[in-house]
Amino acid sequence: MKYMLKKITTLIITLLLVSVVTFVAFSVIPGDPALAKLGTYATPERVEALREEMGLNKSLPERYVDWLSGAVRGDFGESYQYAGTPVSELINQRLQVTAILAVMAFIIILVISIPMGIVSARKEGTWIDVFINLFTQVTMAIPAFFLGMILTYFFGLTFKFFQPGKFVMPQENLGSCIRYLIFPAIAIAIPKIAMVVKFLRNSVLSEVKKDYVRTAYSKGNRTKKVLYIHVFQNALIPVITFIAMVAAEILAGSIVVEQVFSVTGMGRLLVTAISNRDYPIVQAVVLYITVIVIIINFIVDILYQFVDPRVRTE
Amino acid sequence: MKRKKWNYNLTIGLILTTIVVLMAVVGHFWTPYGPTDMNSMLKNAAPSLAHPFGNDNFGRDILSRIMNGMGTTCFVALCTVGIGVVFGTIIGAITGFFGGWLDEIIMRLNDALSAFPSVLLALIFISLLGPGRNNIIFALGILFIPSFARIVRSEIIRYKELEFVKSAQVMGAGKLRIIFVHILPNALVSMLTSATVGFNNAVLAEASMSYLGLGVQPPEPSLGLMLSDAQAFLQIAPWYAIFPGLTIVMIILGFSMISEGLRVYQAR
Amino acid sequence: MGEKLLEVKNLTIGFPEETGMRTVVDDVSFTVGYGEIVGIVGESGSGKSMTVQTIMGLKNRDAHILSGEILFNGKDLLKMSDEELSKIQGNDMSMVFQEPMTSLNPVKKIGWQVAESLKIHTSMPDDEIHGRVVEILANVGLPKPEELCQKYPHQLSGGMRQRVMIAMAMICWPKLLIADEPTTALDVTVQAQILQLLRKIHMEANTSILFISHDLNVVKEVCQKVIVMYQGKIVERGYTEEVLYHPKHDYTKHLIASIPRNKEDIREDELVMQAKDLNVYYSVKERGMFGKKENKHVLQNVNFHIRRGEILGLVGESGCGKSTLAKCIVGLNKNYTGTLDIREEHPQLVFQDPYSSLNPMKKIGWILEEPLKVHGMKDKAKRKELVSQMLTQVGLDPSYADRYPNELSGGQRQRISIGGALILNSKFIVADEPVSALDVTVQSQVLNLLLDLHRTHQLTYLFISHDLNIVRHFCNRVIVMYLGEIVEEAEVEEIYEDPKHPYTQLLFHSILTDERKLQKITDVEQSREDASANGCPFYHRCMSRSDVCREKRPERINLNPEGQDPHWVKCFKYQS
Repeated sequence: MKYMLKKITTLIITLLLVSVVTFVAFSVIPGDPALAKLGTYATPERVEALREEMGLNKSLPERYVDWLSGAVRGDFGESYQYAGTPVSELINQRLQVTAILAVMAFIIILVISIPMGIVSARKEGTWIDVFINLFTQVTMAIPAFFLGMILTYFFGLTFKFFQPGKFVMPQENLGSCIRYLIFPAIAIAIPKIAMVVKFLRNSVLSEVKKDYVRTAYSKGNRTKKVLYIHVFQNALIPVITFIAMVAAEILAGSIVVEQVFSVTGMGRLLVTAISNRDYPIVQAVVLYITVIVIIINFIVDILYQFVDPRVRTE
Repeated sequence: MKRKKWNYNLTIGLILTTIVVLMAVVGHFWTPYGPTDMNSMLKNAAPSLAHPFGNDNFGRDILSRIMNGMGTTCFVALCTVGIGVVFGTIIGAITGFFGGWLDEIIMRLNDALSAFPSVLLALIFISLLGPGRNNIIFALGILFIPSFARIVRSEIIRYKELEFVKSAQVMGAGKLRIIFVHILPNALVSMLTSATVGFNNAVLAEASMSYLGLGVQPPEPSLGLMLSDAQAFLQIAPWYAIFPGLTIVMIILGFSMISEGLRVYQAR
Repeated sequence: MGEKLLEVKNLTIGFPEETGMRTVVDDVSFTVGYGEIVGIVGESGSGKSMTVQTIMGLKNRDAHILSGEILFNGKDLLKMSDEELSKIQGNDMSMVFQEPMTSLNPVKKIGWQVAESLKIHTSMPDDEIHGRVVEILANVGLPKPEELCQKYPHQLSGGMRQRVMIAMAMICWPKLLIADEPTTALDVTVQAQILQLLRKIHMEANTSILFISHDLNVVKEVCQKVIVMYQGKIVERGYTEEVLYHPKHDYTKHLIASIPRNKEDIREDELVMQAKDLNVYYSVKERGMFGKKENKHVLQNVNFHIRRGEILGLVGESGCGKSTLAKCIVGLNKNYTGTLDIREEHPQLVFQDPYSSLNPMKKIGWILEEPLKVHGMKDKAKRKELVSQMLTQVGLDPSYADRYPNELSGGQRQRISIGGALILNSKFIVADEPVSALDVTVQSQVLNLLLDLHRTHQLTYLFISHDLNIVRHFCNRVIVMYLGEIVEEAEVEEIYEDPKHPYTQLLFHSILTDERKLQKITDVEQSREDASANGCPFYHRCMSRSDVCREKRPERINLNPEGQDPHWVKCFKYQS
């Protein structure tokens, strides 16, 4: 319970810190947001009026409080680019898309990498292990967007499993949306699969060498039981923290891969907004992604104590 | 038990990296064709003997452009690693050896940063600084400092408690002498491994950013930019995408195999 | 007795290497009868562990059995399938390992781990299994077995974990128990308790025990028969008394007479060092942003002196503050209160672990030259000359200057460490467990070197050790520490013949073979009752405690007020 409380306090403090950093970072960049919104030809009077309206004349802490109270209610102001459209509206649609994509990628990663990591560790030193090792080395070296292009070329253009560029929003047709997202999800997943396989393999191998494994054998356990009953729970402890990192990496991967497959998700929104210097959107998307990453880390911390009694009983 | 196994990682990695370095260095001074020479006869021409990697939508020689672009990519990655190694070593050594509040702050910051993927952080930096090669170097370099500092710090802490360092203290060796003469030579392999990982991340990040149009800006050559241009012609000229892509793979694979090879070597 | 339970015949094991097969166990044959306790003695690399691991079916995958058979109950274990073997493992034959800290699975509850063998080998219902587990935990002397079942290994002390390991090994009441250095990682007092427990098990269940150790003193405590192994071969065997008192093989003689004696007393009246009211606090901070700071009292009012030419022994169990004291003296820990008056420049420290005390990246010559460089000796030729002189003095060839530490054996490295401590011409050396990581025969060589240097260079030693036998032969005086305090200080013979403090008594009785004296060390740990914060630190384990001990801390009393060196003891028993 004490552990929980400690984690929750840390979570709240981290979230606040992140919001401060995000706000301050985008407030100190040179350029006047009011001017950016109105364009270079606006009269000084109109700019001044808008500045007043946007609250830009207030002090930085005041503006932070305003912004944060808006953000908590989901109000991030209006986009510069799509004048009049609230940022939250733009984000909400795309958040769903990215969430579906990320979950699909995550499932693919888990389903493939866990058995592969275990096989690689069990067959240490055999040709299967060497093959898996080479596979992980190569796939980790492929940038996700290049992989996306290869997949598009073969499965989109050559075999016509999907129509590149014809993405369907989940609100229109969830089924075809998911079908379209299979290949983007694969493009995100493959380099991460390699990461998890490698990590899991090393984790299992370092556990197998420990003294308690010898004890387990001396009781008359067979190899399989030793592995599944004794080694696994121990080997998973470091992997769980690693999975949090993978989840964050998936989000990063989706930024690039959405671009390759023309998927209208958060990543694409972010990239376009950066190119157009549409700061309210950038600020909001960055805050969204960081909050998601932090919450994933929090969940992992909570899960951690169920796997590791040393944390629980301290 | 101690049969020597062929360290295939190290061998293949060294071969690939040698090829990369050669191509990049030669490409800086000489390329088969001018990298910006256009030839309207050869628009989207398939690979041939004269143009082994084919031509792009302006009829430019892809091989020449790759050789040129590799230079930019490697330059960005090297500068990034350089910034990270220099500042990371200093910060890591000081915080690791002396501990205290500076150590606490740096490590908290590091914990916070390491939760986020470097591409995302680099994107945030770029959105603040604006795109461009130097900004990319700056952003990636700064981002690499904490992770390298962490490696140096943990090595320093590990060795600080070992008896040979204690005995250097007892005999009266100064703190700087202990850090640089007694400890850091032992940490060299870990630092090298971590620097190669950093190099790879920089290559990947630079390519991704340039692909998104937020990194190196035209007319400067870059592999990521080439891929971004190639995407529109994927159906009619797949070689335009494949060769720059494979080059990136080769650069990263070479370094990661060297780093894996070093790890295996050290474990023995 | 007489009937053979285990019979090892001509066992030969080797490792394939580039140059061919390296034999690690060479033609080993022996038997263990029903109800017998057989000891195997040898140093690291003697093949003793490899032999028992092979018997237990746990040998390294790379090891090849070149010949021989292992008959258990008349059946050859080496010819069995994995399945047949696993029916014997943990059931008819079980094992206790050296490292209780790492030999238990950290994420499983104690109850589950003890029960596991029963679940594998029987089809008992769960509640019956639980009953058996609780019963055996109580049987091995663990308090509150019901609660213990719900705990995890990290919540237990080293001694308790080793008891759990024994309970785990005994749950199926095996015919043969293999104990591989079961007490090596434990403190002396705990060691004696574990040995007592093994004897008790043997007596109650008539279990045969195969007991592996590098320590003859431990083997002599429990074994009826002993086998001496050296470089993979059995060099001597017989009844324990016979082998110990009338050894035939040269190696065994070496093993038995291995502690050199300090015969000369070169003490002078002048003091080299004096500590007055030395106190050390550590502030331990919890991890994380809101970690609490906690002050730990590591050294408490430490007072003692060392005379020039003296060898002062410092004994106590792990965590009692021995190493902290050493660090204060050599200047590694400046965070103390009180006075530390050292009248000798550069007191040097010789460390325990020969593997981490030398920089692996540097050559021996560089390592020995470094102190000279640091102290400003610019003349390179002179440095080199001093280094080769020093190498000769510590019994190594000057050509060793060109080697790296990993090319040297443990004993040779420890010689280099000693050379490094002496090269600045220091006369006062603090030796922190300098031989405890070495094999018995190497130990005696290094101790001899230390004695030689002591005589020729008129050195003064503070000799820290947990090995009470070495301290007895090696030191002039002894101080005994318990939880950061010196509880007794006296001439070596005086303290060994007639220890006064209850802790010293417990400590020294733990190493004595005499059954009568062993009775004295009944385990009071189970009746743990903590004293108040101001009470005597030994209160909770003390057998002669009284009410005053719980509330007050005793002052030290000199039992030898006339003599040149005092006999201090900190106990209310002697206060009148």
